[in-house]
Amino acid sequence: MTVQVILKGFGEVVKEVTFRVRRYDPEKDNTPKYSEYKVPVKKGMTVLDGILYIKEHIDPSLSARYSCRMGICGSCAMIINGKERLACQTQILELNKDLIKVDPLGNYNLIKDLVPDLSKLFNNHKSVKPYIIRNDNPPTAEYLQKPEEREKYAMFTECILCGACLSACPTMAADDLYLGPQALAQAYRYIADSRDMGFEERLNVLDSKHGVWRCHFAGACSEVCPKGVDPALAIQLLRGVLMKNSFFGYKQVPAPVGKERPTVVEGLKVLEEKIKESEKK
Amino acid sequence: MRESKIMFLQYLTGLLILVFGGLHFLALSFLTPSPDKQLYVYQSATNHTLVGGALYYNYVLDIYKNLAWAAVFELFLTVVTFHAFNGFRIILSEQFSGPTASKVISYSMLIIGLIVFIWGTRTILLAFLG
Repeated sequence: MTVQVILKGFGEVVKEVTFRVRRYDPEKDNTPKYSEYKVPVKKGMTVLDGILYIKEHIDPSLSARYSCRMGICGSCAMIINGKERLACQTQILELNKDLIKVDPLGNYNLIKDLVPDLSKLFNNHKSVKPYIIRNDNPPTAEYLQKPEEREKYAMFTECILCGACLSACPTMAADDLYLGPQALAQAYRYIADSRDMGFEERLNVLDSKHGVWRCHFAGACSEVCPKGVDPALAIQLLRGVLMKNSFFGYKQVPAPVGKERPTVVEGLKVLEEKIKESEKK
Repeated sequence: MRESKIMFLQYLTGLLILVFGGLHFLALSFLTPSPDKQLYVYQSATNHTLVGGALYYNYVLDIYKNLAWAAVFELFLTVVTFHAFNGFRIILSEQFSGPTASKVISYSMLIIGLIVFIWGTRTILLAFLG
């Protein structure tokens, strides 16, 4: 027996809105232009659904980047009615407008239509070494961390690398080499992590002419973050760490390793053997 | 020098500008180095000291001849010059990024800042020596 759930009003066309989408094909166009499309809106329909409707029913040449459709992958960040948002999380009816203007993220090169080239975001992210750095031997168990130690950086782990913050950042618009709020927030996330020992390795990048000190604290990054991360706060906290370091030194105390786990030890042995085998080959 | 130390100096000079700027404002607006500081106030029975009133030009020049005040003005000039030209360096290096541009901006700001500082010092010295 199948149970059918009927949601009142779900599936009915509520109204028609106009999508004004910025189009740009580097192979054909010299400059970007706007195209308008009429989209019938049903309850629960997101801006991404609207874009996919256009792609399926009106203009298949429209390009947009998307994947999970539930605000996790961060692929569909774009500027919707003047603000950076995830298209899959933005309900058309909640915008309460008859005209929806869709632009690709700013401060990036454009690949096509609504698809920005996020290389700058990923390169900057990579430059701050966004992983736990340890100088001691490979661990045979987890590094121990208290819940209150995790709280220090917990918020910054929510970043999904959608790139909305870089698009909103006014410094990013002026300074090509600026690290940007995403990379700086992630640098703080790892420096504040009690398991990390990589402060010195990140110092040259962070304490540079285009590093943490170039933030003007406009706060636009925190305003637009779809996951509620506050990169502007991370930047202020990072400045505090760097200032402390430049006068008194900043020392990280490594978190202890927990009780040895046989499975981890065996796993490490297997890994070492595989590395040796691959080196022989 | 690391950017954090330069920025520390930038914040410190920002605060010192408030202090020395306040003293400068005081000197030009309220303090009277001359003993002859009585003013007759129109339609008033008594004379008043010149608190809150404007100074005669000669009184202002007298301030510059005082060694302590000259030192304050020299310090004020130092912090303002550093703060302003480091500020210009930051603004320009945001607009023109790249290692060559960075060097050109840093050295040109240093040279122009030094010229302004020397010229300001000359003015303070000339006023001090009368």
